[in-house]
Amino acid sequence: MTKFIIRRVVWTIPVILLVILLTFVLMRQIEGNPFRTSERAIPAEIQRNLERKFGLDQPAHIQYLRYVKGVVTFDLGPSLVLRNRDVNDIVRDHFPKSLELGGLAFLFALLFGIPLGALSALRANSVFDYGAMFFSNVGYAIPSFLVATLLIYFFALEWDLGFPTSGWATWKHKVLPVVALGLGPGAAFARLVRGTMMETLQQDYIRTAKAKGLRWRRVVGLHVLRNSLIPVVTAAGPTLGFLITGSFVIEQIFAIPGIGRYYVTAVTARDYSVVMGLTVLLSIIVIVANLIVDILYGILDPRTRDART
Amino acid sequence: MATDPAQGKEQQVGARRVVTDEGPGVAEGSAGAPVRQTNLWKDAWGRYIRNKAAVVAGATFLLVLLFCAIWPIVSPYDPNHVDFALKSQGPSLAHPFGTDNFGRDMMTRTAVGGRVSIGIGFAATAAILLIGVAYGAISGFVGGKLDNGMMRFLDTLYGLPYLPFAIIVLAIFGDANFWTMIVALSIASWFTSARIVRGQIITLKENDYVRAAKAVGARWLRVLGRHLLPNTLGVLIIAIFLELPGVILGEAFLSFIGLGISPPDASWGQMANEGRAVYRVAPHIMAVPSIAIAVLILAANFIADGLRDALDPRTRET
Repeated sequence: MTKFIIRRVVWTIPVILLVILLTFVLMRQIEGNPFRTSERAIPAEIQRNLERKFGLDQPAHIQYLRYVKGVVTFDLGPSLVLRNRDVNDIVRDHFPKSLELGGLAFLFALLFGIPLGALSALRANSVFDYGAMFFSNVGYAIPSFLVATLLIYFFALEWDLGFPTSGWATWKHKVLPVVALGLGPGAAFARLVRGTMMETLQQDYIRTAKAKGLRWRRVVGLHVLRNSLIPVVTAAGPTLGFLITGSFVIEQIFAIPGIGRYYVTAVTARDYSVVMGLTVLLSIIVIVANLIVDILYGILDPRTRDART
Repeated sequence: MATDPAQGKEQQVGARRVVTDEGPGVAEGSAGAPVRQTNLWKDAWGRYIRNKAAVVAGATFLLVLLFCAIWPIVSPYDPNHVDFALKSQGPSLAHPFGTDNFGRDMMTRTAVGGRVSIGIGFAATAAILLIGVAYGAISGFVGGKLDNGMMRFLDTLYGLPYLPFAIIVLAIFGDANFWTMIVALSIASWFTSARIVRGQIITLKENDYVRAAKAVGARWLRVLGRHLLPNTLGVLIIAIFLELPGVILGEAFLSFIGLGISPPDASWGQMANEGRAVYRVAPHIMAVPSIAIAVLILAANFIADGLRDALDPRTRET
């Protein structure tokens, strides 16, 4: 097990370097001048000085190495557009809000997806099952911007329940965005849990547990649910990507000053160092999450360890 | 994009053979092969047609495609004709989907926008599958250390959010049009399909008819092209409908946050973006394209389920 974990951890290092390299190469292809704030061209001398200041006059591989060094020491460099602001400052200001939004949405998705899927599987082909599956299929297919707009339209405006439509301050600000972002992943969890639970219910060891007189409630809690939750762990990695993607839209709609919203602003302003820093940050988060999921999976299902080492 | 619910299912599909009806050695030789292949597809068709949800989904999907293809031709309205006298009208007999903020007929625009959205969807899906087949086939076929490295690479990148990379790609091109959107949406979305193909190739490689082909001295290109890749066709067809929703949503997201297809060209995401400013007074402007997206994605999900059951009877739920 230790060997598996070490191997897995070691493997992420070259991948992170590669992702940084890919982002780095991509970013260099973007045209336009971040130092130009007006229509007038910047005098060549000033342009040169600015480039020297940000190290842009160095050869590409030196810039890359310096950047990697920066990432390792948690220093993502200065913003090219905003004076006296580091990418670190921007991350510090905006990231906690995105993290909270994503975390709450994930929690919401788990809390309604797993019970919904489990109850559906236990009452397969009942009215409840059909209703729940209709709900999850539709919930998974509706684009989150429609969900968000519907929530705003009814809960904030038509029925006037006191939910603000923008900002990120009190818990009331957070309800609608969290529901809008978490609905899709939650619906996906429900479908996933129902599918795997139906399969688990057919297993011989469940029949054995029933046959030896174990109470049904205990069978479900001890055997069925535990084995059915493994795919949810596997799905956690992609769900994170899903939440990050979704947050770009949700933060825009609810005017939440998070990473996703700032990212779009930075791209339009050609603030390369911010765009690059945020991309690298998001990628590393996903890569590390995958690492954790893989290790968890290895613990939960020992068979996968041999297959993957 | 990695669609999460499909995750567990994809792995199942990847791990199992689609061509279960064929015994060992059937595909070898050329005389008997076509007949057997027809049987397999006929079987699958028979199973698909018995699945009510999948049939309804398939019909809906085709209807949406037909609507987008034909309606702009027969419609009495020009999708870009601005008439402020007709601004933001709700659905009526003359305009069944209402009119938008510029008085343009929403029904015609939905069809025209659908052409763009669905066109980008299919083209980007094709690109994703092409990269996936190339990567997965090399990894699975060569095997050994190379396979190990390539798969470890994929494992780590799995679930990487495609949106930041798509945005960067669009910034590089400096313009979001049909072709640049395809590149943007496929550049960081092919990891799942590569995994599926690789899994399929690995399983097939152990089949007796592949060993027999190798034993009689077939060259590797022939083994790969004649025996392995054609048998991944089943999973690829399923993969089309698994990838399509993600790509269509991706286009919608990009256009919705204002980085995608630019006005006056229509795409469903672009139309939803236009409706966002006026959702209070004219909710239908945003609702119509969003519902179109939802219907298409819902249909694609059910088609994927139906196809999986049809092409791989062993994963069928009881």
